[in-house]
Amino acid sequence: MTERHLVKTTVNGVEYERTVEPRLLLSDFLRQELGLTGTHVGCEHGVCGACTVLIDGHSARACLFLAVQADGSRIETVEGLGEVNDLSPLQEAFREHHALQCGFCTPGMLMTCVDLLRKSRLATDAEIRDGLSGNLCRCTGYEHVVRAVRAMAAKR
Amino acid sequence: MKPAAFDYLRPKSVDEAIALLAQYGGDAKVLAGGQSLVPLLNFRVVRPSVLIDINRVTALDFVEEHDGRLRIGAMTRHHTLETSPLVRNRLPLLAAAMKHVGHLAVRNRGTIGGSLSHADPAAELPLVSLLFDATIHTNARSHAARDFFLGPLTTALADDELVTAIVLPAQPPNAGWDFEEFSLRAGDFAFAAVAATITAADGKIADARVAAMGVGETPLRLPGVEAALTGEPLTCKLVAEVAQLARDAIDPRSDLRASADYRRHLVAALTERALEAAWARTR
Amino acid sequence: MSDTELRPKHIGARVKRVEDPRLLTGQGGFADDRISPSALHIAFRRSDHAHAVIAGIETKAAAAVPGVFALYTSNDLHGLVAPVRATSRMRNYHPTDVYPLAHGKVRYVGEPVVAVLAENRYVAEDALDLIEIAYQPLPAVIDPATAVEEASPILHEEAGTNILASREFARGDAELDMTAAAIRVGGRFRFWRKTPLAIENRAAIGEWDRGRRTLTLTLTTQIPGIVRDLLADILDMAGHRIRVVASDVGGGFGGKASLYPEEILVAALTKKLGRAVRWTSDRLEDLASTSQGFDEIVDAELGVDAAGRIVALTAEVVGDVGANSIYPWTAALEPTQVISFLPGPYRVPAYRGHVRAVATNKAPMGPYRGVGRPISTFVMERLVDMAARRLVVDPAELRRRNLVREDEFPYRVASGIVWDRSAFIETLDSACAAIDYPKLRREQASARASGRLYGVGIATYAELTGIGSRISAAPGMPINTGTETATIRLDSTGAVTANFGIASHGQGLETTLAQVIADELGARFDDIQIVHGDSSAVAHGTGTYASRSAVLAGGAATQASRLLKEKLVRAASHLLEAAVEDIDVADGRVFVAGTDRSLTLREIAKAVYSEMGRLPPDAREEMEVTKLYDPVFGTTSSATHIAALEIDPKTYKVTIHRYVVAEDCGRVINPMIVDGQIHGGVAQGIGAALYEEIIYDETGQLLTATLADYVIPSAGEVPSIETIHLDTESPSTLGGFRGMGEGGTIGAPAAIANALADALAPLGIEIFELPMTPERLFRLIEAAKAKGA
Repeated sequence: MTERHLVKTTVNGVEYERTVEPRLLLSDFLRQELGLTGTHVGCEHGVCGACTVLIDGHSARACLFLAVQADGSRIETVEGLGEVNDLSPLQEAFREHHALQCGFCTPGMLMTCVDLLRKSRLATDAEIRDGLSGNLCRCTGYEHVVRAVRAMAAKR
Repeated sequence: MKPAAFDYLRPKSVDEAIALLAQYGGDAKVLAGGQSLVPLLNFRVVRPSVLIDINRVTALDFVEEHDGRLRIGAMTRHHTLETSPLVRNRLPLLAAAMKHVGHLAVRNRGTIGGSLSHADPAAELPLVSLLFDATIHTNARSHAARDFFLGPLTTALADDELVTAIVLPAQPPNAGWDFEEFSLRAGDFAFAAVAATITAADGKIADARVAAMGVGETPLRLPGVEAALTGEPLTCKLVAEVAQLARDAIDPRSDLRASADYRRHLVAALTERALEAAWARTR
Repeated sequence: MSDTELRPKHIGARVKRVEDPRLLTGQGGFADDRISPSALHIAFRRSDHAHAVIAGIETKAAAAVPGVFALYTSNDLHGLVAPVRATSRMRNYHPTDVYPLAHGKVRYVGEPVVAVLAENRYVAEDALDLIEIAYQPLPAVIDPATAVEEASPILHEEAGTNILASREFARGDAELDMTAAAIRVGGRFRFWRKTPLAIENRAAIGEWDRGRRTLTLTLTTQIPGIVRDLLADILDMAGHRIRVVASDVGGGFGGKASLYPEEILVAALTKKLGRAVRWTSDRLEDLASTSQGFDEIVDAELGVDAAGRIVALTAEVVGDVGANSIYPWTAALEPTQVISFLPGPYRVPAYRGHVRAVATNKAPMGPYRGVGRPISTFVMERLVDMAARRLVVDPAELRRRNLVREDEFPYRVASGIVWDRSAFIETLDSACAAIDYPKLRREQASARASGRLYGVGIATYAELTGIGSRISAAPGMPINTGTETATIRLDSTGAVTANFGIASHGQGLETTLAQVIADELGARFDDIQIVHGDSSAVAHGTGTYASRSAVLAGGAATQASRLLKEKLVRAASHLLEAAVEDIDVADGRVFVAGTDRSLTLREIAKAVYSEMGRLPPDAREEMEVTKLYDPVFGTTSSATHIAALEIDPKTYKVTIHRYVVAEDCGRVINPMIVDGQIHGGVAQGIGAALYEEIIYDETGQLLTATLADYVIPSAGEVPSIETIHLDTESPSTLGGFRGMGEGGTIGAPAAIANALADALAPLGIEIFELPMTPERLFRLIEAAKAKGA
């Protein structure tokens, strides 16, 4: 048996302390230990982007990050963006432009967009599409996602 | 798809990390950005008994310039290389190459030391290090890039050796450069890529560097191409000739995505484009 | 202005989705989100052999791993659960028995052999490593072209053949008429295997109520009703003791429209152990074991007369259906649809189509978005373009000459399907107008003149959607997929709840059905809640598949709403002391026309249910209506896609410049949602045309085992897609709706293939297979250049 480790981490502004096995992935930690099931798991090898969260302000795949690594870190997930009756402007743009269908890739897509809107120019559709290309969506064909991001980029 | 069990250690300094590596040797794996390692852990293809997480070794996160050379710490993230003004000014080819590494979320985590140590034959950083004759520093010694990559996922690193920094010469300000990559989907591993720099004098090529990746066991310099270019003006005819040389210089493998023949074809095509673009950028 | 005109119209409006706030905030209820604290987690040891006898299984070491609860093999399930058999009345069909765990032998890499139950998935996977299975390998049957031969090894001994189904459709003497054709075009077309690849992997969570002895199965499924019905049979339980719930499902596309061995196992073990059991698959399991689709070889020929009129069509189809005949659709579904729909929207006077569904050692084939029609459309549209090239006629013009005309509807297709009136020619004309087809051809000419490989591709198709009880979703399948039930209820608080048997998984049916009910009943949109994805919602339901839900559930909602409205009006006539004819319902109020007398639905509900004495006893009705809707035959949906693309002459990378879809999905309920369905369908069709391919090697090993190897399009590979809605009300369905969930995927592969062939026309290249990857383009172009030189 490997030694378990104490993890103190802040998720969406709330501090948590849990003792975990080193091999526990951050995606499973969020979902199973903290009950934050908004972060979804799609491939566990870093391709689909469904589990994207912000770690210390930067987007990252939660499936490629160990819960123990989160010790002392600040994690942000989709649950921190807005409430059902008080959507964030980004979430509202997704709703307005019908940028989601089944909604499974959506949390990861939103967290990627938060980071893109901070870091990228997003001046053209090509730049927006390039920025979104690490988040696979099987429902929307991306067109409406592009429109939602375009609207948000213009508002910055 | 969950990793097998391992112990986890988190050194805060290079010395501490080295001591742990010395203690555990081949049973340990170093965790840097984790973008290549963690998928392998999840697939249980790699099963270390100990994981040494060097993300808190903050001393290895730096980009600095000394005497016309850039010294970049092993824990520098791809996104930093892509956006660092110093890198964009002094090594624009490196900054451009970084755009092809995965996606933003991957570049936010992936590190230069991790990429060099992992030595994927279709990864951008090994190619760039080879193109610029970089020096790869470890705790124990320094390696010339050309001697560092021994095969797919294989380097000259000993079990208790840790990459600490890479030193690359800045691109001459008048040098033209280009990085051309072909992948099926944005951010995917490349079928093939070609990087080139050209320095021109009196309308002729004074110095040319050309390297390719994704078409061999390791990234490859193409010395035959470089020699054929040197001393010549870049004409369409010459481009076609050296593209043929590039095609003949490689011995790629066929895989699921691309046959050896198609990869040879791609390297010729990308060589043409890289040289034309690099030539156009010379001053 | 009349009251009717004042009424808010929801149908046709761009109403924002009801589903979105919960999905955007991470508050959705996907199967794996279900909390079940003491559940046992399952992991499967899956076959690494394509075809082998299981000689022995050793589980002792695995069982000894701390945290492991139990291991099960097929032998341990004896008496617990019966095998599943997808039956059919179709002649020349051989069903196959499917066990929850491989029984006696394995038939594909990835087939579940041993189940480990442990305290968590990590530990369960630790135990998988320690299971030892002795296999006696059998020859693998991989190539469908040789699997049909008598000498081939056989997967299912009891069937005595690998040909699990065969069928023929014929009209006239196609072979004879073909000989008289002025020109004949044809060849062997190959559409390579795909997987639906929903981003949410499959999962099943079984929970057992010990007191009531009831089973709740939370499932990633499109067909909760079908699963419930079958589980009742094979677990020998009354249906009311089983509840199958699929609340939020992360995409389906057909991949969650069949019953899977793992789901049966979870249900059976939950019942046996009397405790919660859960399984969430990972992406490797999804790629290896979720039903695959679109794997056909089509030898087809088209004969056209000198005036450009189709005279005959023939096709010989082999469909590779993988290891089993999948429940409930059978092995016949996908391949048969290829010959059913091959004649497409055209007048084809003589036709012969023959198909064989062939078992091979690959994951079972199931429905995937479009089912057969992406292939039939690819082949037919290629043939039309090949004929146009031979006749030197513009491909749009050749289509115009052959599309079924307005005055010919209803038109009986050579395979027996009947097209009701649909906008075939109008979609073609609208798409051409939207893309400015003549200008596009001029641009192409100048691009070609400068050496660029620029192509324009058209695809026109028709599909049967919203099919009713007279046509089985799969040939001869003994399950009724042709009806849908709505139970609409005004409860004692004045809230409206509508229960359905459908199972929305991205289509936004909570929104569109509420739009229909809001208009038909007169309730406020926000007061309506749609219940779906729950086998306990209505007495009989199947689910959401085959472009049926807007048509069938929309029809049922319309009928039930109208009857409930009559009840509201009757109650109101007492309460408002007015004649029934003078009362109407709109925007949540029941009112007497031309007066200010009105009651809210809440007030009516209180009066009917709670305030004794306000209504005479014989006027007190339950404010609930259940109606079953059956469109009997279904309706026709159609579209024309036009793609303009360019092939990089050096690297052979394909870039799509323009993409236009003009479609007729009848009366549009929500144009925003229709657009989204088209965009998503086209993206999957682009994937099918250019990127996606499930590859098995000659020993049956799956080579595209990860998401890095099975390449679906990202935002960078999909162009902006323009849509035109023709809004031609269906004459055959209540509400005039036509189904449209699959169409995007049906048209896109053909449009892309034709555009590629058009781009490569200067090199004399035709396109016969998809996906046309850069590697395949390289080989085609190199071969053409070598030939030219």
